[in-house]
Amino acid sequence: MNLHAILSILVFSPLLGIAVLALMPKDQEKSIKLVGFLATLPALLISLAAYAHYLAGKHLSDFSVSVEWIHFRGMNVEAPYFAVNYELALSGFQLLLVVLTAVVATLASIAARYVKKEWKGFFMLFLLLEVGMLGVFTAENLILFFIFFEVTLIPTFFLIGKWGYFEREKAAYSFLIYNGLGSAVLLIVIMILFAKTGTTNINILKDILADPSAPVSGDLKLGLLIALLVAFGVKLPIFPLHSWMLRVHVQAPVPTVMIHSGILLKIGAYGLIRFGMGLFPEQFDTLSTLIAVLGVINLLYGAFLAFIQTDFKMVLAYSSISHMGIVLIGLAAMNEAGVQGAIFQVISHGLISALLFFIVGVLYERTDTSLIGNLGGMAKGMPVAAGFLLAGAMASLGLPGMSGFVSEFMAFLGLFKEMPWLAAVGTIGIIMTAAYLLRAVLGMTFGKSHREFTGVVDLKGVEFVPVVVLMLLIVLIGVYPSVLSSPLQATLETIMPGLGG
Amino acid sequence: MENAWLIPLFPLISFLILLLFGKRLKEASAYVGILLTLASLIYSILVLFERFSEPTYVTKFDWLTIGDFHLTAGFEVNQLNALMLFIVSLVSFLVHTYSKGYMHGDERFHVFYAYLGLFTFAMLGLVISPNLLQTYIFWELVGVGSFLLIGFYFYKEEAKAAAKKAFIMTRIGDVGLFIGMALLFWQTKSFEYSDIFAAVDAGQVSGTMITLTAILIFIGAVGKSGQFPLHTWLPDAMEGPTPVSALIHAATMVAAGVYLVASLFPLFSASHTALMTVAVIGGFTAIFAASIGLVQTDIKRVLAYSTVSQLGYMMLALGSAGYVAGVFHLMTHAFFKALLFLAAGSVIHAVHTQDIEEMGGLWKKLKLTGPLFLIGTLAISGVPLLSGFFSKDEILAAAWEGGHPVLFVLALVAAFFTAFYMFRLFFMVFTGEARGNQKHVHESPSVMTFPMIILGVLAVVAGYVNTPWFGTFLGDWLVDGNEALAAHGHHEGPVWIMILATVVSLLGIYLAWLIYGKRSVSRNWLSGSGDMLHTVLLNKYYVDEFYQLTIVAITKGISYFLRFIDTFLVEGIVKGITGFVQGLGATGSKMQSGQVQTYGAVAFIGLALLAVIYALTGGYLR
Repeated sequence: MNLHAILSILVFSPLLGIAVLALMPKDQEKSIKLVGFLATLPALLISLAAYAHYLAGKHLSDFSVSVEWIHFRGMNVEAPYFAVNYELALSGFQLLLVVLTAVVATLASIAARYVKKEWKGFFMLFLLLEVGMLGVFTAENLILFFIFFEVTLIPTFFLIGKWGYFEREKAAYSFLIYNGLGSAVLLIVIMILFAKTGTTNINILKDILADPSAPVSGDLKLGLLIALLVAFGVKLPIFPLHSWMLRVHVQAPVPTVMIHSGILLKIGAYGLIRFGMGLFPEQFDTLSTLIAVLGVINLLYGAFLAFIQTDFKMVLAYSSISHMGIVLIGLAAMNEAGVQGAIFQVISHGLISALLFFIVGVLYERTDTSLIGNLGGMAKGMPVAAGFLLAGAMASLGLPGMSGFVSEFMAFLGLFKEMPWLAAVGTIGIIMTAAYLLRAVLGMTFGKSHREFTGVVDLKGVEFVPVVVLMLLIVLIGVYPSVLSSPLQATLETIMPGLGG
Repeated sequence: MENAWLIPLFPLISFLILLLFGKRLKEASAYVGILLTLASLIYSILVLFERFSEPTYVTKFDWLTIGDFHLTAGFEVNQLNALMLFIVSLVSFLVHTYSKGYMHGDERFHVFYAYLGLFTFAMLGLVISPNLLQTYIFWELVGVGSFLLIGFYFYKEEAKAAAKKAFIMTRIGDVGLFIGMALLFWQTKSFEYSDIFAAVDAGQVSGTMITLTAILIFIGAVGKSGQFPLHTWLPDAMEGPTPVSALIHAATMVAAGVYLVASLFPLFSASHTALMTVAVIGGFTAIFAASIGLVQTDIKRVLAYSTVSQLGYMMLALGSAGYVAGVFHLMTHAFFKALLFLAAGSVIHAVHTQDIEEMGGLWKKLKLTGPLFLIGTLAISGVPLLSGFFSKDEILAAAWEGGHPVLFVLALVAAFFTAFYMFRLFFMVFTGEARGNQKHVHESPSVMTFPMIILGVLAVVAGYVNTPWFGTFLGDWLVDGNEALAAHGHHEGPVWIMILATVVSLLGIYLAWLIYGKRSVSRNWLSGSGDMLHTVLLNKYYVDEFYQLTIVAITKGISYFLRFIDTFLVEGIVKGITGFVQGLGATGSKMQSGQVQTYGAVAFIGLALLAVIYALTGGYLR
């Protein structure tokens, strides 16, 4: 079997669902939701098959595909071609992100049962978004990456603006403006690199840039890295570029916010690791103190603000900022422990935040509120949902045996080697995380009930699927972290020599 | 011993079964829990006996690879671990049995047993960990077990607050442990105990670093074992059901801090400062908590402060280089304190109140609980021939030999306080007239008294494994084959210490009897001598209030300050950006004036500019 076509099929498989949906009548709610769900399955199955392929000891490079796409030449006839090829590939890191995307997308499509209107449009955009995300993580050149990156923006804009909660339009615009500016900066970086080197293929670029005689000076590299830090810093988000993301997390509908905090934010981390650290390792090292400081600021800023929120969604939004600080902390350490911790955190937080936002959706669906004060004592009426909420919070605060601990532990371990004082300041965040999560979660589940929860049904039916699947994955990674670390070894080995480590 | 990993596995199975099927099993859940912990207990006993004749067993496998480092997981059975396995699985089994009666009729009976299983799993996992990382993992998991069980009555506001407090306070300590662990890793390149000790021994770690990491790790122990200044969660943890207090907050988890210091003893003993810190904190906590225990009126809280105080005692022993003394007292304390809590639970079960002011005269009504409580009280007070007497004596001898006269005096005064407040408790509960509403008082069912009887027997005889009269089997065995520990084995103290300790504890008992038994001295003798002191003690030295006014307030302050920044500064940037974009749009739309002349002029100027540039550069911009 020709494996080269697999990645293209994987990335574009949701389009099949869009095509089917296009032919369906608008008002068939049940079958639209079913088709929407089924359309996410091919990508899930293929990505799992790819993981199995890896586990069987075969090479991920079997999947690489490169087809000539666009090439042109400057006015100077001697100059080489400027070529943009259609290139997709998988490394261990990318494989994990693709699996994460496929899993979260499928589970989010189950969460789309809470969508109240215009299901057809919702699912078409949703599936387009999935194409974009899968493309982002498999693209092997910057132009293709950028195209897929933009493909994620537009559907997200509509998914927030049309199907969100009360202030959805404001949230959608603020999403678009921030991310639009971010991608404009990204585009400039890509164009400069393209113009200077004649290629956008990431691996070739890496070799060219590592060569001291490259036509890109050190200062320019530093400038480009700072620009990348801004571009992906919006996405991650890094303080003070975060305010758009708070609105999105509060206003977006459940499935969108699962995708958004589970996957879309991770594009920022992916970009920083793959392009920032991967292409400009020396400059990254120069900036490592700054990045570590930014990381600690993110961690503490998010944690302290999460401590005084009254809306649980806001707690989770600030918590995301705080947790992305750990990614920065790990990256700034620039050693194996730190970088591996950062990557673990990307995946772990993807699963945990998808879980928590899904549970919030479940609660909102039944009680019409996500305010902590209004939900007090909910464990009485919905013990199972409350139990999963507590377990999710435990995962989020880094309880050993769950994925959050392994990532937090490695990221901090890494930073303790390089900048122990800064790391020690950062550990205040570990305490604060426990404080704000317990304050919020116990505020919702424990204590005297302020209202009757007797009529409210507990978690039921298909709602168990996302909750159980996510929880099992979180525990799996926590108990047996090798599921992530072994595919990552090859990736780390390619990043690390560049770091001189 | 090769299969010692099965010991923690049984309770884990219990947890999983009850989690999935508990609702259907209802009160039959108890049998699942009891049988599986019994399996653990039997296996632990086998392992303990095997360990008497065989050397330490270690096995491990790769758990996580970070670059060139292979972090491992596995288990180890050395003397200390084998002893702890036995203590933990025994107390857990007894508490499982006792709870069948105590929790009878509770709506969430099965959940209670599931949590007990989870906790027991974590605690057993903790004691067989061969490395610091794995210890930390289970260390946190026991914390969660404790948290869940403190908050078992989740609908009570007090239980919610207590659970939250317990988790956060211990986590503050855990962060100390975490930092210490991370620093130690980069010093020794390993989390394995054996590697760490070897590196310390070989002088690869600087003296300052040893002191720093040891103290940081000790902070973890301070949090878990309720030592000052992180002690305030432990008395509040009494909001949990009483069997839980016996298991977690008396016998096992809170002793984990002592266990941690004991298992890292070679590290601590390499730094005089670190040992001194342990001893001072321990000694101070012992007397500090004991003094609070003098005036509390909630039966469980008196016991809780007593636990804090006794744990301080153990720390004092370890800090005075009395390794055996610390571990020995850990063991005897586990038995008599678990007994006291279970007996207190039996009292509460009978009279439905925890306030000792509403009890009294229960001796005749609780024919089994009364004598058993008395045994526990005698043991903890250090009355000769009971277990507490021998272990306390060992500690006092260690404190004396350790060369800290002040600490020795502190320990002696704490012993006096202990005897006094414990007998105050006993007399107020069991003698005199019935004060509260005691209509249907009856003895607890045999499922509850049976575990108490076993513990009662142990509280009497457990001391004889290590006495100056019949031989120091425990002490010799514990340090056997371990050079680092051999110097810190049994201390043969002077005889006058033993006599002095006995006199002190009898004095305490006598004073308690005068006031609360015979009532020949006014109960208000303390408040008479100064209302201030009594109030301060009653309010636990206002430590909680102090934290509320400082740490909590500061945290909130920072949060509100950051919110100010978030609303004004960050949002200001947002406004700036949107303003800029809007301004650009407005300018753009103004330019669309529709006047052909303007358009023409702009086009012409643009063309002219391009021509000039072309003329100057002769082609491309470079």
